[in-house]
Amino acid sequence: MNFIPIPLIIWLIEDLLYLIIFPGLVTILVLVIIIIWLERKIAAKVQMRFGPLWVSKKIGGALQSLADLLRYSFQEAIIPEKADKLAFILAPGLMFAFATIALIFIPVGPYYSALFPSYYTILFSVALIIITPIFAIIVGWASDNKFSFIGALREGFLLISYEVPFLLSVVSMIVIFRTYNYISAVQSQLNFLPGIILNPLAALTMLIVMIRTTGRFPFDITEADSELVLGLFTEYSALFFGVGMATPYVELYNFSLIFSLLFLGGWWPLNVNVMNPLYGLFLPGLVVVIKAFIVMAILVFLRAVYPRYRLDQAVRSGWSYVLLLSVLSVILSIVEVMFLR
Amino acid sequence: MSEKIFNIDDLQNIKVEGEKYIILQIGPSHPGSGHMRIKVWLDGDIIVKVDPDIGFVHRTSEWLSERREWIKAIPIVERIMLPDTVHANLAYVLAVEKLLGIEPPPRAQYLRSLVAEINRITSHLYGIGIFGIFLGSSTVYMWAFGDREPFIDLMEMLTGARITTSYIIPGGVRWDIPNGFKERAETVLQYMERRLKDYEDIWVKNPVVQARTINVGVLKKEDAISLGVVGPNLRASGVYYDTRKHQPYAAYPNLDFEVPTMKNGDAYDRLLIRVEEIKQSIRMIRQILKDLPEGKIIADQIYNQLNPVMKKNYEEKKRVMFPAFMIHMRPPPGEATAKVEAGRGEIFFYIKSTGDKYPYRFRWVTPSFRNLPFFTHVAVGHRLADLPTIYGSIDYFPPEADR
Amino acid sequence: MNEVRKPRDPVTGHIKALAKGFKYLLEPNRMTLDYPAETMKLPPNYRGFFTVDDKKCIGCSMCEMVCPPEAITMVPRIIGEGGKTLPAPEGEKETKGPKRTKRPVVNWGKCIFCYFCVDVCPVDAFIPTQVHDVAFEKDKDYRPSYEEYLKPPEEPYKNAKKVVSKADLKRGVSYEPAP
Repeated sequence: MNFIPIPLIIWLIEDLLYLIIFPGLVTILVLVIIIIWLERKIAAKVQMRFGPLWVSKKIGGALQSLADLLRYSFQEAIIPEKADKLAFILAPGLMFAFATIALIFIPVGPYYSALFPSYYTILFSVALIIITPIFAIIVGWASDNKFSFIGALREGFLLISYEVPFLLSVVSMIVIFRTYNYISAVQSQLNFLPGIILNPLAALTMLIVMIRTTGRFPFDITEADSELVLGLFTEYSALFFGVGMATPYVELYNFSLIFSLLFLGGWWPLNVNVMNPLYGLFLPGLVVVIKAFIVMAILVFLRAVYPRYRLDQAVRSGWSYVLLLSVLSVILSIVEVMFLR
Repeated sequence: MSEKIFNIDDLQNIKVEGEKYIILQIGPSHPGSGHMRIKVWLDGDIIVKVDPDIGFVHRTSEWLSERREWIKAIPIVERIMLPDTVHANLAYVLAVEKLLGIEPPPRAQYLRSLVAEINRITSHLYGIGIFGIFLGSSTVYMWAFGDREPFIDLMEMLTGARITTSYIIPGGVRWDIPNGFKERAETVLQYMERRLKDYEDIWVKNPVVQARTINVGVLKKEDAISLGVVGPNLRASGVYYDTRKHQPYAAYPNLDFEVPTMKNGDAYDRLLIRVEEIKQSIRMIRQILKDLPEGKIIADQIYNQLNPVMKKNYEEKKRVMFPAFMIHMRPPPGEATAKVEAGRGEIFFYIKSTGDKYPYRFRWVTPSFRNLPFFTHVAVGHRLADLPTIYGSIDYFPPEADR
Repeated sequence: MNEVRKPRDPVTGHIKALAKGFKYLLEPNRMTLDYPAETMKLPPNYRGFFTVDDKKCIGCSMCEMVCPPEAITMVPRIIGEGGKTLPAPEGEKETKGPKRTKRPVVNWGKCIFCYFCVDVCPVDAFIPTQVHDVAFEKDKDYRPSYEEYLKPPEEPYKNAKKVVSKADLKRGVSYEPAP
């Protein structure tokens, strides 16, 4: 039995635990179900009504999203005759997969991550997140529907105009922390100040980009129902539609994790140095996920306040105000670093 | 966008050829179309031509009314203008009364104005709500539809029905105001005044709304006149015209109110003018409830025909029952027209009687139909996303236009 | 009216909108009714389903004539079977012997609840109720026979909490338990 590499097994178990249970797929599913319910409940509260209630009335209708998911699972999946069938079927799945895969580069604790702790986790996760919208464009193209097509074009325009500010806001944090690694970034925040105080401009940019990329209001432009029916997912039904609808929430989850790691001090106030299964592995992760959940809740609250911008207005503000903001945030970071040195 | 003054004749003159354009069929089954189809030619994101295809909910109201007794047209015209039932009812009854030569008593006149103004508020809230959901704000949609509820409850208390009230009959109205109505109305009006401030923060002065509506869908004063636009949309373009002021009916000659007008004629002005009109309606309801004259609610010609059971009911329950005259009404031969300022604009009625028990000719023009040029003329040159803005801002209601 | 139009600067506008939304998120303000669990007791003049008083009705067909959607049909009915004297309707002489007459039946699929028939009845024979939310399972149920029509309509959700609506300064409409 000597030749079984015990560290490898531990590592494998830890990986599986990470990817499948917490904060991987199961957590994502539970959180997406809760956040969709919460979004509807928040909107309902602002709008002076009940919101989802009659599915599981005792707990305020919290199982409504689960019921919806079940309904999507058993619905007939209709594939339009003229659609590009392979792309039509694969694209939502790939979209969801890439949105989920970004998680393997996002550690939620100093000793708890999916891969060997890489030095370049920030870069990898950001790169993977940026891939997701490309599948959205494929979705729009594959349906052979004018509304989906216009939705895909809009997605493309917005994708390009908000990618640069997003990258610049991440770059400004990299400049401040002088690392490409989430764990070191969090450690340096624990030692000094959380990123949102160090560079509020970058935090604001990141928030705007999160709202935009995940299609929250007021940037709900790609699926503007009063002109585009459902935008990208007009032709979709059944589980394909369910997956497509859940993907923005998964992206939102990833973005919120990144936001809480880069700006909200990660697992602050826990300062973990002990390699203990509970204290070292799960508790910091729990703190990060709770912070991410609060960020998500704040962003879904915007639905209750805003209508949506027009495409040209969103693109223009992306290339002007938001870009300016992100450039300023990089400059701020550089100035701070020089000053602190 | 609207640089030149439009000529009525060039409605369909915009020629579009070639395969350069995307032709988008918005509707008739589309979240942003209502019961109509809007055919849009798009050059990229810019609208080149719009062809509104109406008639999907044409319900032959004129044909039906010409083959029924006079009284039976009341529910028919109500069902055409569902958010605005009282005005359709009132306009028809005014025309019939002109033929019959009946003048309703003052209390009935005031009650007519009361329900008309309550209905105007609900109609404008309906419009604001639909505008909200067209721009993506579900909150304003729910708020506006929720805030119709207190007013609809008032109507229910007064007339026994929430929307299709059939309240106004030739010679007067059907029910007198019940006990506790005035207090309840005052509470509702105060509530609405408070809520309008909240609307201001979350909707009217929301930067996103202002970005979406200011200078979108501009209709200049001259164009508005030459295209024959009516109602709040006309007043938003700066034309001071309101049937309630210019050809007053019901209790409006005795009421003190202003007709708000705007200058720019864009979607934002059309939104603001509805908010301002709600404020004026609140003011009018207060006046009506204060000055409500005593007396009968039905003209003596009708009252004298009531049988003893009906008269007893009138004294005890303040409820007007119908004498047989209502069924066998045969207005003397002649023509009559009536105009009423409804929530969306002016309703025009033309009725011709040959002394028969059915109307010989029954013709009416609804305000939404006259606001149709907004699609063909104003929307051209805007972006696709501006089409819902223009549609929502003119408060277009397809069943009303189709009749 | 230009002071109304004056645009608000974006920063104040965003902050005010968010603050108002947040205020509504926190304070209790629900104005909707939890419908099947609570049902409303409607005002006495509410126009709901109605039935007819067989004793009062004189079979004059006025209701059939005034009905705008032509939902009312007069069905033949023989009263006073076997020559027995029936209790006479109010204010009329007693009649002897079987008598052919007519009675109204409403097709609920057509009825629009305008209450023209209720108001035109010269003897006020219709009995209005406030029941408005009856559901019909079969197409046939829309067209009751005269005997079925005479039964007062059944209110669904009998176990529901009865509430009355009330104008409220804060919520617009609030509900309190019915007396």
